[in-house]
Amino acid sequence: VTHAPSPPIALPPKTASSLAPDPPWGPRWSTDSGITVLLEESHAIPLVDVEVVIHSGALHDPLGKEGLARLAARMLRMGTKRLSAEVVDEAIDAMGASLSAEVGHAVTRLHGAVIRRSLPQFLELVGQLVAAPALRTSDLGLVQRETIADLASQRDNDRWLASRAFRKHLFRDHAYGRPTFGSEESIGRVKRVDVARFLERSVVASNVTIGIAGDVTEHDLRPLIERAFSKIPRGTAAPAPLAPPEVAKGRRVLCVDKPERTQTQVYLGTLGARIADPLFYPMLVANTAFGGTFTSRLVREVRSERGWSYAAHARLGADREREAWAVYTHPSMEVALDCIALELRLIQAFVDEGVSEAELAAARDYLVKSHAFDRDTAGKRLEPRLDAEIHRMPASFYTHFAQHVSTVTREAASGAVRARLSHEDLSIVLVASASQIADGLTKLPGVRQVEVVPFDRV
Amino acid sequence: MADHASVEARLNGRRSADATRATPPPTEPAARARTAIDRAKLRFVEEIPFGEALRITRWQLGNGLGILILRDPSAPVVSYQTWLRVGSSHERPGKTGQAHLLEHLMFNGTKNHAQGEFDRLLEAAGGETNAATWVDWTYYYENVPASELPLVIRLESDRMANLVLEKSRVKSEKEVVSSERRDRVEDDVEGKVGEVLFATAFGRDHPYGWPTIGWMEDIESFSSADCRDFYRTNYAPNGATLVIVGDVDVEPTLAMIQEHYGALAPSKLDRHPEPAPPRQRTERRRKVSWPTPTPKISVGWHAPGYLSYDHAVLTIIDQLLVGGRSSRLWRELVRERELASEVRMSLAPFRHASLVDLWIAAREGKSIEKCFAIAEKHLQRLQRELVDEEELAKVKNRLELGFVGAMETVNGKADQIGFCETVAHDPQHTFVRLEEYRRVRPEDVRRVAREIFDDRRRTIIDVVPSRRAAARSSANAKPKRPRGGA
Repeated sequence: VTHAPSPPIALPPKTASSLAPDPPWGPRWSTDSGITVLLEESHAIPLVDVEVVIHSGALHDPLGKEGLARLAARMLRMGTKRLSAEVVDEAIDAMGASLSAEVGHAVTRLHGAVIRRSLPQFLELVGQLVAAPALRTSDLGLVQRETIADLASQRDNDRWLASRAFRKHLFRDHAYGRPTFGSEESIGRVKRVDVARFLERSVVASNVTIGIAGDVTEHDLRPLIERAFSKIPRGTAAPAPLAPPEVAKGRRVLCVDKPERTQTQVYLGTLGARIADPLFYPMLVANTAFGGTFTSRLVREVRSERGWSYAAHARLGADREREAWAVYTHPSMEVALDCIALELRLIQAFVDEGVSEAELAAARDYLVKSHAFDRDTAGKRLEPRLDAEIHRMPASFYTHFAQHVSTVTREAASGAVRARLSHEDLSIVLVASASQIADGLTKLPGVRQVEVVPFDRV
Repeated sequence: MADHASVEARLNGRRSADATRATPPPTEPAARARTAIDRAKLRFVEEIPFGEALRITRWQLGNGLGILILRDPSAPVVSYQTWLRVGSSHERPGKTGQAHLLEHLMFNGTKNHAQGEFDRLLEAAGGETNAATWVDWTYYYENVPASELPLVIRLESDRMANLVLEKSRVKSEKEVVSSERRDRVEDDVEGKVGEVLFATAFGRDHPYGWPTIGWMEDIESFSSADCRDFYRTNYAPNGATLVIVGDVDVEPTLAMIQEHYGALAPSKLDRHPEPAPPRQRTERRRKVSWPTPTPKISVGWHAPGYLSYDHAVLTIIDQLLVGGRSSRLWRELVRERELASEVRMSLAPFRHASLVDLWIAAREGKSIEKCFAIAEKHLQRLQRELVDEEELAKVKNRLELGFVGAMETVNGKADQIGFCETVAHDPQHTFVRLEEYRRVRPEDVRRVAREIFDDRRRTIIDVVPSRRAAARSSANAKPKRPRGGA
């Protein structure tokens, strides 16, 4: 049955322009002691996100004591001189709150979320934990053993294994190659004095940013923050020195051997970009065209046309120095070599020829229009503001995202890829049952070196 | 109400006039034009509160398509979801995984859109699209800028009726699903154990006993004819509900839905009888050998379906035992006695029956039997003693935090509405569930613990480290455990 066309009923426009900058950021102020506070208000639901960012992370881990910053972050959850870890855990759960810690190379972050009615008590507790942690020796031992047990558990996760091995293989001795999680050996070497020294140097007012997003006004929040975090001492922290990473020459392969695998977990990659790189936005758009969406070149070739891997994507990391650019797939053991060979050809074409006009236009459209979902909650609006503080980037880098993306030309995108990526100097890391695949890996084009390590040594 | 009635009258008036203007060809009986009008006829059904500030309106087209709209202008975005009342429990032995395979195939070409165009158009519009299948349902979603809603309505209505299932595409998508299965099950210890647990507890041929992704041999054997049959039967307006949440204007949205879905014919849907209740009278136990350094255990007890009040009570029990660091079992196994690295529970939200599943991973060199003995001690305590009000209030607060968090985005709200409508036939049932949590008394906890945690109705899956992995782990073991130090 066909209908005669109805008169069109148009939807009214919902946004002035998708190229408009983000709405103005919320309030930013400093406490009396010098802590930076950021607020993004939203009263849509009675929930408040609390982010405490300490601008020191795993880059501060001494050689051989990898995992120190992560242990220190976990020790912040283990109570104060007056409150045991058990009392803290009870209090957080009873408030209807959650609190977790995350450590990156440059930052240590506490993520909290709390039902609005419990916000004052929650901030009070978090302030005490950050400013005056108990750091009991017995608790450190407990946290170390938990971390080592977590490490063993993670080895059941093949993708995690591949990712961890890839970073080590790509960055080698550079700080970015040292695991923030640590290893069994390095975790065991950390002493209480190491944790105390790290926190003493890091938890000083000018090195801390507090981000709040959700159901609270500036008027209500200011005194709560002032009171809760008043014990954090004034002072500044020195940033960790960081040299630019260098990529090893040639195509090098590391096979993480795990028995009884039906599939592989594969990362191929090289060095990518710095966050402050003038080529960052052209790289971002090019990467989106190559492997950032469901219709991108990589996904079309690997998944849609050949059915070789359920997941396939390319990711562009960016940090103070050049982070990793990596392609991820998980083909079956039977097609893994063909899949890796295809990915090598795709990477070579990407670097040599760049992206087409059609691919570029699709990527730009996607990034610009989907940007609405990067800012649709208070928590998401807070993220770029925290990033700007962490990376010391100007606000316009984030607020003018749509304009940055929309002005990227094909020449700029392809030129950026040529300037930054290499198809010759690649780390190829996979988790697989090595006996079935190791010989074939040596025959991949341009491969100079194949190394095999057992999965429980990663 | 008057407002909704006038929307209904205006839109039906337009459709009727359109159909009248479209003179039927001489060979087409007038009755067919009448059918077209009837299928597209819009009916306002009800307004349903969704919390204190928001309202869902429910509408229905004459062809049976259900429509739920929640206007939420907090951001210029929309979540558009299509919920189908068919999932893996409606398959049959030998054809397991059909609902999930078809979910994948729905992203292929239609009579009106070439292969890949669906994704290309949505990405160009800044949209995110995906889908999911489980035992009771299949759903598709698009999260788009609000201005792109017309595109979504056009694309979704098209693929509900015009999907092309070419042999080559079915073959390729079967490969993708096989890859997904290898990733989620064959090479994943928890995926594998979960599959063995449900198949053992319910039976391999019970609708809740086979995996939603399907057995590998079934995935490999599907033909394009199988997929076409399943599609024609189940993908029809009378088997679907649209859930639209976000910055939408209701009347123009309904007009577009009427225009694009109104012509679709309803299907003769299969009846989905309630699966037979599981019949387990003695403990069942299986072993899974795996290349892992540590032993693990998974234990499942039969439980009531999602609609039961006792399902809510079991969620409270889950939180008492393993929800957060102050929970009873987590604290003793992980923190105090340092026997386990992980301890979790999960409770399947299936319509007719469920399984409450406890998972424990022992630490290296620790006894998984000892871990489970401690878990049993805690279950017996729940059966014996009343939980105190303070502890109960604590877990209710934790559940409230999760409830509020799930409502933050438009897609979060749409997920809740679609799931509750499909499984509970009540789009705001998530608020009912929250009230149920608040009502739970200590006596409820004890009663349900006594009823559910019956040794005769439990299934145990032991994960035994395979020899090679265990040997390596032992060779790697450190002689000294770190204890910290000054």
